[in-house]
Amino acid sequence: MSATAEQIDADAEAAARRRATFRRYTRHPGFMIGAIGIALLVLVALLAPWIAPHSPTRTDLMNNLAPPSATFWLGTDQFGRCVASRLIHGAQVSLQVGFFVVLISLSLGTVIGAVAGYAGGWVERALVAVIDILLAFPSFLLALALVAARGNTLDSIILAVAIAYTPRIAAVMRSVVLTIRPRPFIEASRAIGLTPWKIVLRHVIPNALPPVIVVATVSAATAILAEAGLSFLGLGVQPPTPTWGNVIAEGQTSITSNPLISLSAGLCIAYTVVVLNLLGDGLRDTLDPQMRRNTGKLL
Amino acid sequence: MSPLLEVEELRRSFSGGRTLFGPRKPDVRAVDGVSFTLGRGETLGLVGETGSGKSTLGRLVLRLIEPSAGRVRFEGEDVTAASSSGLRAMRPRMQMVFQDPYGSLDPRMTAAEIIAEPMTAHGVRRAEAMRRAADMLGRVGLSPAMAARYPNEFSGGQRQRIGIARAIALDPALVVLDEPVSALDVSVQAQILNLLADIQARSGVSFLFIAHDLAVVRHVSDRVAVMYLGRVVEMAPRDALYGAPRHPYTVSLLSAVPRPDPAKERAKARIRPIGEIGSAAALPSGCRFHPRCPRARLVAARGVDAVQAAGTRLPRACVEQDPQLSPAGGGAHLAACHFPDEA
Amino acid sequence: MTAAFELRGLTAAVPGEKGAVRLVEDVSLSVRAGETLAVVGESGSGKTVTFTSALGLLPKPGRVIAGQALLEGEDLLALPPEQLRRRRGARIGMVFQDPLTGLNPVFTVGEQIAEVLRAHLPISRREARDRAAALLGRVQIPDAARRVDDYPHQFSGGMRQRVLIAMAIALGPRVLIADEPTTALDVTVQAQVLDLLGDLRASEGMGMVLITHDLGVVARQADRVAVMYAGRVVETGTVEEVFRAPRHPYTISLFRSIPEIDAPAGTMLAPIAGSPPDPARRPPGCAFAPRCFAVSDAHGCRSVRPDLIGAGHFAACHRQGAIEVAA
Ligand SMILES: Nc1ncnc2c1ncn2[C@@H]1O[C@H](COP(=O)(O)OP(=O)(O)OP(=O)(O)O)[C@@H](O)[C@H]1O
Ligand SMILES: Nc1ncnc2c1ncn2[C@@H]1O[C@H](COP(=O)(O)OP(=O)(O)OP(=O)(O)O)[C@@H](O)[C@H]1O
Ligand code: SF4
Ligand code: SF4
Ligand SMILES: [Mg+2]
Ligand SMILES: [Mg+2]
Repeated sequence: MSATAEQIDADAEAAARRRATFRRYTRHPGFMIGAIGIALLVLVALLAPWIAPHSPTRTDLMNNLAPPSATFWLGTDQFGRCVASRLIHGAQVSLQVGFFVVLISLSLGTVIGAVAGYAGGWVERALVAVIDILLAFPSFLLALALVAARGNTLDSIILAVAIAYTPRIAAVMRSVVLTIRPRPFIEASRAIGLTPWKIVLRHVIPNALPPVIVVATVSAATAILAEAGLSFLGLGVQPPTPTWGNVIAEGQTSITSNPLISLSAGLCIAYTVVVLNLLGDGLRDTLDPQMRRNTGKLL
Repeated sequence: MSPLLEVEELRRSFSGGRTLFGPRKPDVRAVDGVSFTLGRGETLGLVGETGSGKSTLGRLVLRLIEPSAGRVRFEGEDVTAASSSGLRAMRPRMQMVFQDPYGSLDPRMTAAEIIAEPMTAHGVRRAEAMRRAADMLGRVGLSPAMAARYPNEFSGGQRQRIGIARAIALDPALVVLDEPVSALDVSVQAQILNLLADIQARSGVSFLFIAHDLAVVRHVSDRVAVMYLGRVVEMAPRDALYGAPRHPYTVSLLSAVPRPDPAKERAKARIRPIGEIGSAAALPSGCRFHPRCPRARLVAARGVDAVQAAGTRLPRACVEQDPQLSPAGGGAHLAACHFPDEA
Repeated sequence: MTAAFELRGLTAAVPGEKGAVRLVEDVSLSVRAGETLAVVGESGSGKTVTFTSALGLLPKPGRVIAGQALLEGEDLLALPPEQLRRRRGARIGMVFQDPLTGLNPVFTVGEQIAEVLRAHLPISRREARDRAAALLGRVQIPDAARRVDDYPHQFSGGMRQRVLIAMAIALGPRVLIADEPTTALDVTVQAQVLDLLGDLRASEGMGMVLITHDLGVVARQADRVAVMYAGRVVETGTVEEVFRAPRHPYTISLFRSIPEIDAPAGTMLAPIAGSPPDPARRPPGCAFAPRCFAVSDAHGCRSVRPDLIGAGHFAACHRQGAIEVAA
């Protein structure tokens, strides 16, 4: 066989492989529902100014606590603001929180956990001590402190939640890395003369990532919940900026007469959490087919 | 010319750890004073009981683990004293093939990436390394069209070929092979053994070949060393060792090998070490084989100076003096036994 | 004389992308009381699947689609699950491949043997422990009465393997199936385990199936041998017959591919080129054809599946007899 024919074979194989991978994702119902659900939410958040029927902050005290109608899909709150518009704009905040928290805690946590797990010795002990302290520290207090120091901005919230989540990711990462470190291919990469950093970056992290990504996806959901919780307590993004947490909090004053306000915001949160969990489960099943194949086969 | 590899009095013990509340457990002396040399283009076979320290010795030679004492010189350079960057610079010349063909390849890299990695790690440009990796696949008998496959898409034998390609990619002078065929089927095993012979004939690489299959070791080795509880107890050119073993442990090892010949197999008398495998955490006094040595019992029965030990009478020398590896028989035949000339 | 254990036309399959994939096909074997049958063949040839499916242990979604597994005349595969479970362990024992994972690290060796006993017999804890200690003695663990309370990690590989054997023979089975009982062990320990199995077979009159790919072990231990390739038995006969005059090209190639400890030095090994077919993509005709040195279209190697033929010594090859010439 000539080299070019072999090249063609190799390319054809690579293409077939890509198709097979793609199919693996598209054929997983949970993954697809999760992915489409998130895509819809992102779309709503991005297009909020165009989709929302009204400004989310325009008050109209003459028309407060109005029931749902063609103009106000979910009615108005006690200041006469359009609830539907507030929820649509609130999606922006929630998604930003979810996205940035995952971005920050995933990148920091992955590296910290990988270094701790791979290095061993005093480096590991020191990092584990820090991780444990952060894990034990009430994240609520941390948020309070940050908000006190930096003010009630979206950045403070994201930072507070990210700091709370980084040690969780790091702890998961470290425990996964501990199972990877004794695997023979790590010793093999030492034998060919790779530096420890390269081993961590090229072999340890890629092999540890699948379970960590799954955890990260699910923590995006809890991060969104945390933001809502903080906002509900008045520690989050300050009103009148629309967030789902703020909507619930403000809806509380009229919860008996107009339960729909808080309820619809709660449903938005629930939807996001469910969709993210589906995505996480789907990723777990599809990211590492090899892992699944090995554990699924008993003999 | 100095030999390629010189190993002097190499030692490594692992701390036994501590049981909760209990006393400290004794250290495991996995490799306990081993010396040998290996010439260019030579294959030294290393056999021995489970847990006798073969893998540990292989790793020490490449300094994948740190020795407790002793020295390794490779191409005249001191491996044991090298700095970590100095050691990395030596790595291309000394490589390793691992026992487990399933575990020793990163499951997230393609065959070509795995083989290219030692080259890129030592300064070859990625495109060039990938091109050479495709050539290497051909050299180890795989189709270059398989370059983009992941390890789980190969059989055990094919994976071991990838492991070998990775080890020889930088044209090393020494390859330590730790049970490279134990996990493979007999028919595939033959393919790999032939491949190794072929590589050696072409490149003049030296092999330190660790295995527990004595027939395989005989097939590939120029010289053979036998380990027992952290020591080399016998070392000799292949035919001398298989033809006229001097150490009683080697004798029992050889007599235990089952041969694919029912007639010979049924008729054979076996010489068996007595009792259970020795423990490197509790080394016997004198000769470390004495509690299990059939020869010592025969010699004592003949009336040499004997003492009571291990529940029987044994020669005083066996119980009190540690025998050193010294010439026995002729030529380069070495054995660590006080009575090497007994039948 | 009826066989202690007999497989008749056993076929087991798993669902695949294009219909059922037959992992083993039409396997017929038998072992008499007091006899050792060795089953050899390349990795993936179906040795393990044959016996796990015969004992109803093939993991789902695999299942037996045809055939019988007769234990002293009674078809195990026709029994309800609960009864089958009672036969296993009590009248037919199996030592599984991979001794190091076969024991639970958090229970003592004695507890694990006792558990087997108590699952089948109405005996007290104490009594079970005493019997466990006696069993350890039977498999020649020194100082068994004390070591019965040790944990698996305190035992060496060879000793752990013997513990598994002790569990398999705890209830005095009529048939013992040992799957690669010595692959992970070095030769001296291997010899101990093989001797033990040989003694048990002789003293208890047990029928034994020894799955292995070490032909030396077969020569040493077995009375008869069955060679498997791609899910089928391709040759069977007494050890003497098969080793002296192998008839199937696969068996012949297998012998040529192993280094012999007393062969002249420097001989090149003759490996079997290629690898065995994937169960989902076995070629029509003879499954060995793509790797066979004697393949011949004139004899229908690539179109007609050869049947096991012969008397006493059987082989499934269109060209048996003519092969020596071709080789
Ligand atoms: N990292 C370690 N920590 C503690 N003990 C160890 C370690 N590595 C090896 N040992 C011990 O050192 C001894 C020698 O082990 P080694 O793996 O070198 O044996 P081996 O001759 O290669 O055996 P095998 O034939 O079973 O592979 C054993 O008693 C083993 O338990
Ligand atoms: N549960 C399963 N599902 C699907 N395929 C299986 C399953 N178990 C085994 N196989 C396949 O069936 C074939 C026979 O496997 P089996 O384990 O019986 O081989 P073996 O002869 O015992 O090999 P080895 O010597 O490696 O133990 C192999 O191709 C294997 O991949
Ligand atoms: S020195 Fe004594 S105990 Fe040691 S091997 Fe020789 S005869 Fe046996
Ligand atoms: S039937 Fe043909 S291909 Fe199959 S083993 Fe016999 S000669 Fe070879
Ligand atoms: Mg080893
Ligand atoms: Mg098997």
